[in-house]
Amino acid sequence: MHRYPRWPIHLALIGVSFLMLIPFYWVLKTSVTGENIFAYPPSILPKSPHPFYYVDVWYYIPFARYFLNSIIVSLLTVAANVVFNAMAGYALTRDFPAKSFVLLLFLSCMMVPFQATIIPAYLITGRLGLLDSYLGLALPQFSTIVCIFVFKASFDAVPRSLIDAARIDGLSEWRIIWQIMMPLAKGAIATNVILAFIWSWNNFLWPLIVTRSADMQTLPLGLARFLSYQEDTTGALYAFCIMVLAPGIVLFLLAQNEFIRGLASGATKG
Amino acid sequence: MSANPVEDPFWRRLVLNRFVLVPALLAVAIALWNVYVAAHDHGIVAGRVVDGAGRPVPDAAVVLWVLNFTTYVEKTRATTDSAGRFVITNNDSHNIRLAAEKPGVGRSARVPVRLYFRAQDIELREPLILLSAS
Amino acid sequence: MAVAPAVTYRPQRLVRTRRAVLVWCFLAPSLIIFLLYRIIPLLWNVALSFADWAPLRPMRWAGFDQYEEMFYDEVFWQALWNTLLFIASAPLGIVIALGLALLVSSDIRGRNVYRTIIFISYPLMTVAVAIIWRWLFEERVGLINYVARSLHLVDQPIQFLNSFFWALPSVIAANIWQMLGFYMIILLTGLQNIPPNLYEAAAIDGADARRRFWRITVPLLKPSLFLCFVIGMLNSFTSFDLVYVMTGGGPGRATELLVTYIYKLGFSQTRFDYAAAVTIVFFVMLVTITWMANRLSGGNAGAVEKD
Repeated sequence: MHRYPRWPIHLALIGVSFLMLIPFYWVLKTSVTGENIFAYPPSILPKSPHPFYYVDVWYYIPFARYFLNSIIVSLLTVAANVVFNAMAGYALTRDFPAKSFVLLLFLSCMMVPFQATIIPAYLITGRLGLLDSYLGLALPQFSTIVCIFVFKASFDAVPRSLIDAARIDGLSEWRIIWQIMMPLAKGAIATNVILAFIWSWNNFLWPLIVTRSADMQTLPLGLARFLSYQEDTTGALYAFCIMVLAPGIVLFLLAQNEFIRGLASGATKG
Repeated sequence: MSANPVEDPFWRRLVLNRFVLVPALLAVAIALWNVYVAAHDHGIVAGRVVDGAGRPVPDAAVVLWVLNFTTYVEKTRATTDSAGRFVITNNDSHNIRLAAEKPGVGRSARVPVRLYFRAQDIELREPLILLSAS
Repeated sequence: MAVAPAVTYRPQRLVRTRRAVLVWCFLAPSLIIFLLYRIIPLLWNVALSFADWAPLRPMRWAGFDQYEEMFYDEVFWQALWNTLLFIASAPLGIVIALGLALLVSSDIRGRNVYRTIIFISYPLMTVAVAIIWRWLFEERVGLINYVARSLHLVDQPIQFLNSFFWALPSVIAANIWQMLGFYMIILLTGLQNIPPNLYEAAAIDGADARRRFWRITVPLLKPSLFLCFVIGMLNSFTSFDLVYVMTGGGPGRATELLVTYIYKLGFSQTRFDYAAAVTIVFFVMLVTITWMANRLSGGNAGAVEKD
């Protein structure tokens, strides 16, 4: 391979990075200065920044309550997800009659997007008496096909001899899963945790449908409600945006590799 | 961190794990902030009133407005002492406005004061300046 | 002398049954969730679309009435058209992402930083992204109008989100901004799976960069490109959050997607039966387009044919 100059690549990538980051910078700037909501032309650098919009948001809307709701629903989702998906993934590594039927069923469920089910899902949740509750918010997200297949692939990679040795030693199936296979599937667990958490955290349509009372709302709902009350006439809206985006960004930066690996592997296996 | 991660004792690996370290640091920061807030939330607003020439004005009436949804409502009044200082002790809001007035000397503009948390104790850096209406 | 066996012997059939029961027990929770929230709702939607029903009223068979009403419903056709336009924009995002993936996968320092920066928009809350972009497109003080006027591209500010012409492209632009990172990651994974010795062999044979790209890279990337297209299409179909917060359906119905129309029918107008009919059409379209894309990319989910 002959050498080619690197700097055009860097230049192009820096330009693209600039375009990708400008919205963040702009929102951050407005959340600390409140300019460019009424004034034109906009200033590029923040003049006299202050953090008081964040204080306004904290007291004006029940941010802590929304945050807590989002956290509870997401933790519930993640816990159920890991357990259910691991169980289903393990079951799919065994041979049993109707296995291909079940696989086909799962694959076809992947084709049914959540948006095609909202009305009956709402009716079902109502019948179960779970409207406006944490369980009702979390229930549809308790299992995802992508993560089942990630677990299946991870379990398939465990050498057969290990499992056979454990069986000969008399371990029950349940203990085989928890003591042998799960520790070897740490990557799959991490992937599942991150993906399930982020999908649940960002979920907007389902909480919009299922919550009835104001104090069961999750963060995305709270943000949308704030927009409809206040319009975009205050820096507090953008401070709210930043407060909502910050946990997502921090979590993503912490768990980047797991997230990207999980998306790439889950998507290619799906 | 030792060069050989396998030989790190379990507790050390746990603590230096980024998923433990970052939330722990956040929790510590939040705890420290709450301690600071608890120590400084008596609702004391103190300041001075001066006239156009910078001389302290005794017996000026100071009014405190607090934010109520989108408008400011009057909460309490105080009077400056002989040195031109005033102290208000029952502020419970994070977004207040102050104005001072003394008939014969003038009135000040409504000064917005924004606090970091509700009922934060604050000593105004700039005095309220009474300007005569003309 | 008999040695006690290490394992108690059980009849083979009992072991197999026990094993099958166990497997089904393990599958049960996930199956119940999918049954409850995917399969039953889909079938319920089919049933509702052929009925005439309102809550607290008995269900009546209505044949194709709902579909007939849909046929004459202007809003439905507008929403369908908008959705198709949205899907047609996915290839644009994929092409840009392919370019980015090629740049990022080349041998430069700091490629992980670039990768992170480009990808960071994807895991963020779409509601917040929609608010940010709504403001960037704002007519009076938005950044985009400012840049356009500073570069003297336009004299008057453009009402992006209020104009019948610009509203949908604006939403599409915001969507592409958010999805670029995702497409790029998938394409990066695909690029990394191409063995480099193929390129070396082609270079030795005298192929220039363009031929190497079109003859080696693109064919071997077909599975990844197909995956990107399917996910992009799925994302365009289901972009409720972005549209709802950015424009709420647009000036008039200029940015109404099928998915927002279904939501409004079901939860603003409480017309569950009609919404079910629209949902069925929506689902059928989704499956059809996926199937067509599969055929176009050579079947088998675009997998590379081995010769």
